[in-house]
Amino acid sequence: MTSSTAAPIVSGAGINFSFGVGELRKQILFDVEFAIQPGEVVLLMGPSGSGKTTLLTLIAGLRTLQAGQLNVLGHSLAGASRAELLALRRKIGFIFQAHNLLPYLTALQNVQMMFDLHPEVSPAEGRERAVRILEQVGLGERMLYYISKLSGGQRQRVAVARALVCNPEIVLADEPTAALDGASGREVVNLLQSLAREHQRPILMVTHDARVVDIADRIITMQDGRLINDLQATENLTRMSGIHA
Amino acid sequence: MSQRIPLAWLQLRHEKMKLFAAVSGVMVSVVLMWMQLGLLQALFASAIEFHGAVNGELVVIHGQYEYLLRNQPFSSRLLHRILGSPAVQEVYPIYTQPLEWKNPWTGQLRTIQCYGIDTDKPAINLPQLAQQLSLLQHTDAFLYDRKARPGYGPVLEEFARGVTIEPEINRRKMTLVGLTNLGASFGVDGNIIVSHANFLRLVSERTAGHIDFGVIRLKPGADVNELQAQFQAILGTEVDILTRAEFCERELEYWRRATPIGIVFTTGTFVGFFIGFIVVYQILYTDVTTHLPHFATMKAMGFTDGYLFRMVLTQSIHLAFLGFVPGTLIAGLLYTGLRSATLLPLQLEFSRGLFLLAATILMCTISGTLALRKLRTADPADVF
Ligand SMILES: Nc1ncnc2c1ncn2[C@@H]1O[C@H](COP(=O)(O)OP(=O)(O)OP(=O)(O)O)[C@@H](O)[C@H]1O
Ligand SMILES: [Mg+2]
Repeated sequence: MTSSTAAPIVSGAGINFSFGVGELRKQILFDVEFAIQPGEVVLLMGPSGSGKTTLLTLIAGLRTLQAGQLNVLGHSLAGASRAELLALRRKIGFIFQAHNLLPYLTALQNVQMMFDLHPEVSPAEGRERAVRILEQVGLGERMLYYISKLSGGQRQRVAVARALVCNPEIVLADEPTAALDGASGREVVNLLQSLAREHQRPILMVTHDARVVDIADRIITMQDGRLINDLQATENLTRMSGIHA
Repeated sequence: MSQRIPLAWLQLRHEKMKLFAAVSGVMVSVVLMWMQLGLLQALFASAIEFHGAVNGELVVIHGQYEYLLRNQPFSSRLLHRILGSPAVQEVYPIYTQPLEWKNPWTGQLRTIQCYGIDTDKPAINLPQLAQQLSLLQHTDAFLYDRKARPGYGPVLEEFARGVTIEPEINRRKMTLVGLTNLGASFGVDGNIIVSHANFLRLVSERTAGHIDFGVIRLKPGADVNELQAQFQAILGTEVDILTRAEFCERELEYWRRATPIGIVFTTGTFVGFFIGFIVVYQILYTDVTTHLPHFATMKAMGFTDGYLFRMVLTQSIHLAFLGFVPGTLIAGLLYTGLRSATLLPLQLEFSRGLFLLAATILMCTISGTLALRKLRTADPADVF
């Protein structure tokens, strides 16, 4: 699945990051180095507070890089302008822990509104694509429901549809299954994986959910702000099953 | 663009109560502004109803003219000096004087403004006046003001029933022969119109040779401003010669100076503006606050600050229109009610409507712009 010959789609080296200033300054990330290849599904795991979300927001261009090199989808984030970060974010599909859908819109409108970021897509085509992807995530019948009328799993499926409808070049997800029960979580992850595979989209997903590790091509583990291992999924699974055995 | 999701509107109408409150706030503000400006304008307009109706391009008045009720007559011989000018079509002398009207039903005395005019030439441009001029030629005949305030007695009702109305005016029995419209104003509760001859009979202290106004009607195509300067030179400094607009302006100037109504009603208008501003600001601000996580999400996904600003400003403009339309309708109803109660010439004027619409949009966009400051606190890094 992984093509090690192509240039990585995300690559970082020497990333250090701290919150706060002066006395209160607290370093969160230490000399992080990693890469994601095109089409790869990568899980980012590790204990709470280890810096996973912080790393994800750096990759997404939501925080300013303080030290090191970070290249995402061809953008060098060291010293990048606001406009460049914005352009980068438009190429990313985001999935949040809480669905973060707009409550005053229907499921369809929530997906359709993403085309306001892509004026080159006509409104008619935007609608058509939104309808199609909602059908793919199994919400063809509920497209015109407001978010409050959908279950947690259905909401997260709308969020998946919203993240993918504009064909992002990478999907970043932070614990997308945390608020869901096992079955719904599984369903959402499967959808995400199959949609991403279909379009050869890489996924970087932070998760605590050991039940979904099987979708990963690779698992990166963080501890105290450092990457402690970066393993091909097969080795990792063996290791994990070894632990759980 | 038309088929894209109208996010601003959908977000605005999501909470019906809040939308209702905001629209009501704008509406109240619009009604207040209409009322204040309308009353101000109507009060001023009523003060110059006579001035605006004089049937000529130029008016000669005494140099010391202050306002309608404080005036000095001037010699009508002055007017002869310009009668010969080829540009002059006609000159109409007008007398005016406040008189005492004795209410025929109650015997109460009340001041009424009397105008004495030529009966062969319509010196004042009022509907139906020209047809009734011949009636005024009868001794002691007068026309009564349909828009007079109550207090002179049930004149209109009784006259309509065919009753002969013969009140004592300045202790002289007069006969009502017809109706006209001049309207009440600050200083005047009602008017009557009589002939020159009857005027002089009514007001013994006045003489034929001294008039209050000389209305000059020019031949078509005459250059008003040039003739004004020319005549002023001929007439000398005892009198002023004004265009009709200047004549109105002279009267308004007095009322602006003499009464605080300009300030009162302008302040009232600002209060209306401010109320709307506060309500819209409050509501947009809480709205932005409640939707802050959604705005942060949109920012994270790549929506620009400009896009979100436009969303909030679009909402302001929606509120402006949603409040303006019913506010204007309510103001229209109130105008109708007040018009019959006060006889003030209240009108929903189109130009004032445009002005108020602009003020409403301004009010809402200022509120929106201030509420936008809250939007800056939406940090997209907080969404994960
Ligand atoms: N905005 C912030 N300001 C200051 N410190 C922060 C901020 N956000 C996170 N931190 C701190 O940074 C550290 C790493 O946080 P981060 O959210 O990256 O952890 P995480 O690995 O995602 O944890 P979890 O699995 O619980 O989500 C934590 O100690 C946290 O307290
Ligand atoms: Mg986290």
